[in-house]
Parts: sequence; structure tokens; C-alpha cells
Amino acid sequence: MSGKDRIEIFPSRMAQTIMKARLKGAQTGRNLLKKKSDALTLRFRQILKKIIETKMLMGEVMREAAFSLAEAKFTAGDFSTTVIQNVNKAQVKIRAKKDNVAGVTLPVFEHYQEGTDSYELTGLARGGEQLAKLKRNYAKAVELLVELASLQSSSPGLNVPLPISSQNWMRESEKSSIG
Amino acid sequence: MLEGAELYFNVDHGYLEGLVRGCKAGLLTERDYVNLVQCETLEDLKIHLQTTDYGNFLANQTNPLTVSKIDTEMRKKLCSEFEYFRNHSLEPLSTFFTYMTCSYMIDNVILLMNGALQKKSVKEILVKCHPLGRFTEMEAVNIAETPSDLFNAVLIETPLAPFFQDCMSENILDELNIELLRNKLYKSYLEAFYKFCKNHGDVTAEIMCPILEFEADRRAFIITLNSFGTELSKEERETLFPTCGKLHPEGLRLLAQAEDFEQMKRVAEHYGVYKPLFEAVGDGSGGKTLEDVFYEHEVQMNVLAFNRQFHYGVFYAYTKLKEQEMRNIVWIAECISQRHRTKINNYIPIL
Repeated sequence: MSGKDRIEIFPSRMAQTIMKARLKGAQTGRNLLKKKSDALTLRFRQILKKIIETKMLMGEVMREAAFSLAEAKFTAGDFSTTVIQNVNKAQVKIRAKKDNVAGVTLPVFEHYQEGTDSYELTGLARGGEQLAKLKRNYAKAVELLVELASLQSSSPGLNVPLPISSQNWMRESEKSSIG
Repeated sequence: MLEGAELYFNVDHGYLEGLVRGCKAGLLTERDYVNLVQCETLEDLKIHLQTTDYGNFLANQTNPLTVSKIDTEMRKKLCSEFEYFRNHSLEPLSTFFTYMTCSYMIDNVILLMNGALQKKSVKEILVKCHPLGRFTEMEAVNIAETPSDLFNAVLIETPLAPFFQDCMSENILDELNIELLRNKLYKSYLEAFYKFCKNHGDVTAEIMCPILEFEADRRAFIITLNSFGTELSKEERETLFPTCGKLHPEGLRLLAQAEDFEQMKRVAEHYGVYKPLFEAVGDGSGGKTLEDVFYEHEVQMNVLAFNRQFHYGVFYAYTKLKEQEMRNIVWIAECISQRHRTKINNYIPIL
């Protein structure tokens, strides 16, 4: 028992009961904090694992999508100006929702489709099949990107409470070791 | 027109026919393609192209070399050759060349109309227009507020005016979906071109009419195939089919009613030319698509056009073969630059 942490106390039975209750409180607090820090660590590790998987998959999907663009250009000619000219509303949109993990709120992105495909008839006379494949590949790429963004924005969200709760836990352990 | 083209053709068009045959001899052969396919980088591709007819066309390009730069330079070369032919041509060959440029003009006009409707700057759109489809009234497009004004003020001077008149009902152009308008214009253009070739008669008609009939039927098949599952109704679909092909009228009527690929195939089986084409189509991934089979057939017909002399079809065939060669080179270049070599041999061989 270190000298500076001495608590001044009058040695009576009441004081002992009070001190025991305080010790119990400190121990419960420390256990809860440990649980919180464990839950946050677990969630953080899961997110990191998913980020790595998604990034690997992303590489493959983007490659596939870029190649299907080359295929579509081979059959349909150059349709890039037509596509760029006809842009008006977004077809795929994102909603942000909140998720609660051990008291920490994390943002989660969810994508949804709205409206009809304004490029349905592009490539009607040439290359329609390749264009349809191209649209599918890039839609997949966009979905993956949204997922990745969601994961990557939650990980800094966890970075702050995680060390704080570990610090609190250490402080609580010190306190409970006094009793 | 006059029979016995051998007697009169060379007076007006002999120089140009000789020139185009020389250019055709410069098309890439199978050996060139084998060399290109083995390149590791785009720089290797450039070096290989220097030994062919393309020469140093990429000499002024700064690093890094991209596929779009290669594409632009090839297109510039084709355009300068085409303009040369066109500037030296006499009637009726010059009308023939005008008909050839109409298809590019249609694409450019659609682009300009779209841009004018969305109030985009004309200069940026002009850069993206196809150079072969240039016409003098292009810069004047932004003075019009609505498509109908555009037509009455600007387009009526171009060779495209009669094609627009077929598509317009009570001068209302606004409601038509841009893609439907494009396809309707192309249908009237194809029919007019076919009539011109047929009226010209002689060897030109013998060579060009089958090529244009195939183009018409091919469009009918592809439009049908691509309209499955979209909101294009069957009646609208039928209005987009050009009528100058072999499928007119029974085949087109049957195609308009088709609902899936099998029904389309049954329609094709009635025609001896199209039956083997449809049978060559593989199923799903790995096999050839219908479009690939059509491209190959088109290339075959264009190469055969050079076996006859004293007709205008050689110019049409040369331009189409050159365009296919450009598409092949861009395909190989994309496969190389994206390091995705599994399908690199999917180009369409020409010679």
C-alpha cells in the first residue's frame, strides 16, 4: 500500500462497513468497464477483419468492372459522352443509421435504389448486352464501396472510447486494489 | 444508270479507287495482330505499330501513353484519309460519301440537341463530336431554345433534314426519348442510302445492297434482343426496324412479337443467311455473343467487296474495316494496360 493513497479514516465498525461497500462498488465498476472495453475491442477487431476482406474483394470487383467497360466499348463504340450528358438524378442513394455498441453510437451506411434506370435504352442498337453487364458490375462495386465506407467510418468512432474505457478500468483497478 | 461501268468508271473515280486499294493493303494482318497480342506494355504496342502502315502517328505524344490517346490519333488518321477521298471525289461518288457521313452526323446531332436542351456550353460538346460527322451548321446549335426551333432553323440545311421529317409528327420533337429518336433517324437514313445505291444500279448496287440489307436486319435483331425486359413496347419496337432488309415484311412482324431469344432464333431460321449465324452463338459466358457473330459476318462481306472492281462499295468497305481495326487495337491495348489478358484474343480478325 503506497503512502500517497492513504485514506484518512476513523477506525470504527461503521467505517469498516462503509469501506467494504465502497470496495464492492469499485469492483463492480471495474468489472463493468472491463466488459465495456472487451466488447469494444471485439467489435473493433471484427470491423478490422471485415475491412481487410472488403478491400481485397474491392480490388477484384474494380478490375472486373473496368474490364467490362473495355468490353462494352469494343462492341458499342464510344458511349461515354451520351452517358455523361444524360445525368440527372442519382439512382443509388445512402441512408445513415446509428448502431449502439456498449453505449457507443456508431454510424452505419445503407444504400437503397430510387427511381428507374434512365439509361435503359442506351445501346439499344449496339452493345446492349455488354452495357447491361457493365451496369451490374459497377452497381456491385458501388455497393462494396458503401459497405467499406460504413466500416471505415465506424473504426475511428471506436478508437476514442476504447482507450478511454481501458484507462478508466486501470484507474478503477488501482482504486479497488486499495481496499 | 449506265451499264458497262468498266468503260466509264475510271474517268472520274479511277484515281481514288486505286488509292483506296492501296490503303486497304496497309490494313493489319494476322501476323501483326499476333505481334501486338504479345506486347507487355503500351510502349511495346507503339513500337510494333510503327512498323505497320500507322508509322509514327504516336510520335508527338507525351508520356504516359494511354489507350484514349491511341484511339484519338488513329481516328485522326482515318479522318484525314477520308477527307482526302472526299475532297477529290466527283458526283455521284461525293453523294455516296455524304451518305456515309450521315450516320456520324446523326450521333453528333443527338449529342448537340441533348446539350442544347441542358444548356451546356456548345464548345465542350463540339470537342466530343465525331470528326467524320462534322457539318457547317454545328456551332449555330445553341441559338435554338427547343428541339423544334433547332430543326427549323439549323438542321433543315443539313443532309439530315429528310430523315427528321420522317420522325416528326406535327413538328413535335420534344417528347421523343433521345434513344428512340436516334434509332428512328438511323432507320430513315439506312432506307434512303439503300434507295440511292439501288437507283445507281450496276456493280455498286450489287455490292452495297446486300451489305445494307444485312445492316438493316442486324439492327432489327439487336434492337429486339436489347428490348427484352425494358419498357419499350412492341409497337414502338416495330417502328425502329429498318425495312430495307431481307426480313421485311414477314420477318419484322414476327420479330416485333418475339419475347425471348429462342423465338428470335426461330424467326432467323426461316432465312438461309441468318440460320448459321445464330447457330454459331455460344450460350452465356465463354461463347461468342450474337454481336460478335454479326461483326464477323460484316467484316467478311466488306472484305469480299474488294473482289469486284469499278464500284463505290470499296470506299464504304474500307472505312468500316478500318474502324473495326481501330476497335481491335483499342481492345488489345485495354487488355494490356489492365493486365487482363484472358480475353485478349477476342478481337475480330480481318485479313
